[in-house]
Amino acid sequence: MRNRVLSALLALSFSTSLSHAQSAAWTGGDDLPTNPLACDATPATAAAKPYDGGSPTNAPDRKGKTLKVVDVPKLVGIGYFNATSKGIADAAKEIGTIDAKTDGPSKANIDDQITLIDNYITSGVDGILFAANDPVAIAPVLKKALAAGINVVGYDANSTPDARQWFVNQAEFNGIAKAMVDSMAKETGEDGAFAIVTSTFTTPNQARWIAEMAAYQAKCHPKMKWLETVEAQEDNILSFNQTNTLLNKYGDELKGVFGMTSVATPAAADAVTQAKKCGKVAVVGLATPNAMKPYVAADCVKSVVLWNPVDLGYAAAHVLRAVADGTLAPGATSVKAGKLGDLSVINGSEILLGAPTVFSKDNINNFDF
Amino acid sequence: MSVIVDLPPTRPATERPGFLRRLFADYGQELVVLAAIIVLFAVVMLVNPRFISANNLTTIFAGNAYIAVAAIGMAMVIITGHIDVSVGALIGVLATISGTLAVAGYPVWIAWLAPVLVGMAVNACIGALVAYARIPSIVVTLGALSIMRGGLISFTGGTWITDLPPAFLIAQKSVFGLPVPLVFMVVLTVLAALWMRYSAFGRSLYAIGGNAEAALATGIPVERRTVAVFVIHGAFAGLATILFATQLQVIQSTVPPNLELTVITAAVIGGVSILGGSGTVIGSTLATILFATIGSALIFVNVSAYWLRAVIGLLILATVLADMLRRRGRL
Repeated sequence: MRNRVLSALLALSFSTSLSHAQSAAWTGGDDLPTNPLACDATPATAAAKPYDGGSPTNAPDRKGKTLKVVDVPKLVGIGYFNATSKGIADAAKEIGTIDAKTDGPSKANIDDQITLIDNYITSGVDGILFAANDPVAIAPVLKKALAAGINVVGYDANSTPDARQWFVNQAEFNGIAKAMVDSMAKETGEDGAFAIVTSTFTTPNQARWIAEMAAYQAKCHPKMKWLETVEAQEDNILSFNQTNTLLNKYGDELKGVFGMTSVATPAAADAVTQAKKCGKVAVVGLATPNAMKPYVAADCVKSVVLWNPVDLGYAAAHVLRAVADGTLAPGATSVKAGKLGDLSVINGSEILLGAPTVFSKDNINNFDF
Repeated sequence: MSVIVDLPPTRPATERPGFLRRLFADYGQELVVLAAIIVLFAVVMLVNPRFISANNLTTIFAGNAYIAVAAIGMAMVIITGHIDVSVGALIGVLATISGTLAVAGYPVWIAWLAPVLVGMAVNACIGALVAYARIPSIVVTLGALSIMRGGLISFTGGTWITDLPPAFLIAQKSVFGLPVPLVFMVVLTVLAALWMRYSAFGRSLYAIGGNAEAALATGIPVERRTVAVFVIHGAFAGLATILFATQLQVIQSTVPPNLELTVITAAVIGGVSILGGSGTVIGSTLATILFATIGSALIFVNVSAYWLRAVIGLLILATVLADMLRRRGRL
């Protein structure tokens, strides 16, 4: 009997690691309203919003003093977070009064991440930089850090606003969505049919991007057809298999595939390459340039959309320094971030990094992350 | 819990039931899984004939072959009464070794052979700790899992291996018009199944898994066999790595999450008793194919992801129920 129960349990977990499919209607992980940008390059007008971040309790005066900082990304060991931690290290070196180290879970697991942060609160740090694996689950431990007088700044993946002071937003969701859909429309034509390969439907960033992409596509490229969205976890072979299945299912109808993660995008490009459909099926996606170089060089992929994660880490470290010094306080409208210049405050307690970068054959070799 | 050793071929010749009945008694779970695969193919084919296009069959059978190959070794370990939760991390380490050698310019056969040999060496250590130090295999392999996963990230620094030489990418090639991963999966499954059923060594594994003390009493060198089965499992992990590492043009420093669980599940759903002593490697391979088929089918029939677990749960219940009825009938 134990055997039977165990097999059923194993099967359930197995099911999460194999494929998930979904019909065309998007029922993504959140019900937040979408805010598509203008179809041309007009920037969005941000509505003023009062500060909604948290604040540390009885924080000591850290102005000008060396800060002991721990950076806890979603996971360590992937190109993307290696790049953010390089940016943090660059900023620390430039500022001179930040003693930063990166320590994260070896896989993107919220429980491991909470344990790590808890340990650093106990051992005593001045500042915590984080990229949350789950916006809600991470909130209690971050509030504990604030209560211990630690400065807390997020980047890449947010927590609930009151659990941290500021969040460095790499790109607004609608900005990424516009860059992705515009690139796809340019490659497949205004009436192309496309599918999406994502990690899971409930991964916060990916769910928001897809919701914004749907809104922007309906507004600015109404003739494009969204066929389907499939899940592929953070699994390269599964991403490859899922893309192949989409190619097999739709045949010539499918003109483009969006990859929503830096694991899915190269795997999707590999599937298109091995199916000998380069030039017939466009691959547009979020990915680190290094992972995409072979496919861009082979002319199979023309647009890779991403912000610069080195700049993201760099900005996060500058924001933390400014918060500790008191130069970035609730109500501020911008913050100085070294070589990046003035970054603007949006949504109450977020700092916007800037417009996303579209990497192509012309510029991809200038980047190494 | 029964201590009866479930040895398929040892039925006394005096009571010979019909061929079909014997087939069902020996391979009940395997037949049920096979039937599920066939029914699924028939149904989805009617909804969308492209499901059985050559390309999609390749995706289903070749795309997950590395899991099936790893599950062969896992089935043997579980049949012997042990478990290995470190195989996913091991495959990650072996893929990095293999890719690094290939990029460094070593002949591709060295890059293919290395993961097999290193896999055997690593698992020899694990097997020795289990057999001679008598540490439960789940503890040893949990330790190995952490060491290898952490070590891999420290070693690679998270960078991906690119610029793999085209000759190295064996999983993308074909022999006699069949994709290499499919050939690997079928040949290895058949050889391992014959060996497990007809060799004295293979049959001793069932005896050890059924009742280690009884096996020892009958003269089976339990410790040596335990080390050996882990070494063989390491070789299969190495063979799985060859497929895993050569499927794409880049090798990532991270392995698919929960790969070890996926491999264990394939063995268990295929009819390998988690308590040891029964099951076959044919079952583990069929179970891998079943889940690959389900994954593809769900996309083809536009089943919402929110139905997925329900669908799989129903299939599992049906499979398990059929197996229970079969066992009840036999006892």
